[in-house]
Amino acid sequence: MEAFIQPGFWIFVLALAGIYGVFSLGLQIQYGVGGIMNFGHVGMMAVSGYTIAVLVIKYQWSFWWAALLGVVLAAFLGALLGLTTLRLSGDYFAIASIAFAEIVRYWILNSDDTTGGTQGTLAIPSPEGFASYTGQPDVILNWISERLYPIIGDEASRDLSMVLIVWPFFFLFIWISSRLQKTSWARVLRATREDDDVPRSLGKNVFRFRLQTLIIGSVFGGIAGVFWAVQFALLAPEDFLRIVTFYGWMILILAGSTRVKGLFVAAIFFGFLYGATRFLEFWPLSLLSSPERAYLRVFLIGLVIVLLMVKRPQGLFGKRQEMILE
Amino acid sequence: MENTNTIESAVLDVRNISVSFGGVKPVQDVSFSIKENSFTSVIGPNGAGKTSLFNLLSGMNKVSSGEIIFKGEAIQSIHAHKIAQKGLVRTFQGAKVIRRLTVAENLMMAVQGNPGDNLMGFLNPRARKSFETKAREEAMRRLDQVGLTKFADEYAGILSGGQRKLLDLSRALMADPKMLLLDEPFAGVNPTLVEKLLTVLAALRKEQSITFLLIEHDLETVMNISDRVIVMADGKIIADGLPNSIYENDLVIDAYLGSRRKDA
Ligand SMILES: Nc1ncnc2c1ncn2[C@@H]1O[C@H](COP(=O)(O)OP(=O)(O)O)[C@@H](O)[C@H]1O
Ligand SMILES: [Mg+2]
Repeated sequence: MEAFIQPGFWIFVLALAGIYGVFSLGLQIQYGVGGIMNFGHVGMMAVSGYTIAVLVIKYQWSFWWAALLGVVLAAFLGALLGLTTLRLSGDYFAIASIAFAEIVRYWILNSDDTTGGTQGTLAIPSPEGFASYTGQPDVILNWISERLYPIIGDEASRDLSMVLIVWPFFFLFIWISSRLQKTSWARVLRATREDDDVPRSLGKNVFRFRLQTLIIGSVFGGIAGVFWAVQFALLAPEDFLRIVTFYGWMILILAGSTRVKGLFVAAIFFGFLYGATRFLEFWPLSLLSSPERAYLRVFLIGLVIVLLMVKRPQGLFGKRQEMILE
Repeated sequence: MENTNTIESAVLDVRNISVSFGGVKPVQDVSFSIKENSFTSVIGPNGAGKTSLFNLLSGMNKVSSGEIIFKGEAIQSIHAHKIAQKGLVRTFQGAKVIRRLTVAENLMMAVQGNPGDNLMGFLNPRARKSFETKAREEAMRRLDQVGLTKFADEYAGILSGGQRKLLDLSRALMADPKMLLLDEPFAGVNPTLVEKLLTVLAALRKEQSITFLLIEHDLETVMNISDRVIVMADGKIIADGLPNSIYENDLVIDAYLGSRRKDA
């Protein structure tokens, strides 16, 4: 249990929470406002992350330009997903979006020469023979660590520097998103969540509103991918399995999908669940082998979602009244 | 029919429209022309194709053949939202409200030309806010008109069936219609309220020169307010004329008795 009182553990939890928080902001505007069930969100994160890795390692791009292009590509992919499948009704779109993210992952998996294939970004062929893409952001992370070292000593880790960068962005994005959700644009979007015919009959181009939302959410997914790429410093196809999308959904359900501001608490709770399962070594869990314990994470997160759906469908911060109106 | 001599002032001109879904043909070769600022009722038994006709006029379904001319422009193949923007606005049978928006928000959503509806409007908060303030004022005025003021900031989902009809009607008016298509606005509304609504519609026609096309089940209800009645049965128009003349029409009596026999 003493792992839980280590500052390093909580710093890691916060770093993870910040990244997943930004990720779930995308799902929040898509589902919580627009009612779009996107189960392929992880694809956006994979695209921006891999765009950085490939362009920096293989083509010596600047990290910053690569990151920018990564986010643009994620937005572009959101548009592509929307233009091809958003006219499908809700359930069918959800299925199509899963397939979409799987296509992205399979493409990464099978393009060894570009992406490193199964071995991940370490195997991307590099003219310099050294497959790292975090050189430029590391300069900043180190700079922060060096400033903090005289004050807090060894706790001045790379994770802490990440927390100090990711969280201000996370709060900024929460703020932007909540402002956006107070506009009349969002009001129309909320209407489309319940019924297409009413906004259509009032002159609103429902498809445009949905497509815009999908793209905005994809931008958040892409930005989360940039943070992820820096945090872990290498990427592999199995980082972008379907389950990652559902981690984002868990945060959303926990927070209450219609309330953007609850998201950061839910993200920390998720980060804790995710990080803590590594340390569940006490009896009776110690009877399980360590790979088995890794599955506990998925199990626990599933359990939390089910319990929430039953006991508090509006999430921790949502309004119950919104759930029961007929 | 007297299409040819009214065509000059026709705001809506429907020419031989039909629609079929597989084997079902809810609207078959329907033609009529609506004069500006007139009040026309469409009546007919259940399943006659009245709602299907509205779905075609509002662009929610597309015609299989025929033409719909609104203010001199063919609209049969353009998107539903564009038709509404042109001022041809409909309501729905059974009234559709957005339950998880407040009553006022339901109305404010309908205002046309809102800069805040556009993502670019996000960057111009001043224009957005002043538009919102005006929209809110207009919404409150409309709510007052139908006695829903005290529900302004409640979720529309708490409204009763009759109140939803009022909201639906007010919302359509917020969209600044040139012509309104109302699908059974009185069904399930208590008689006192029906009287009040009829007064409101008559006033709107006078003050805002809106043209009305209204579906009603029961001829009696719309007898006085209509200056013309179109009767549909089995997807076709079987009678069209002054309200009084409809009463004596044998085909109409047959259609209604026929449907009653089927129901029994
Ligand atoms: N989209 C559709 N697909 C198949 N049949 C339809 C469709 N829309 C309407 N119908 C059929 O058209 C007929 C007329 O329905 P409707 O227009 O609702 O009648 P009314 O409004 O006069 O009661 C009904 O038999 C209905 O089942
Ligand atoms: Mg009908």
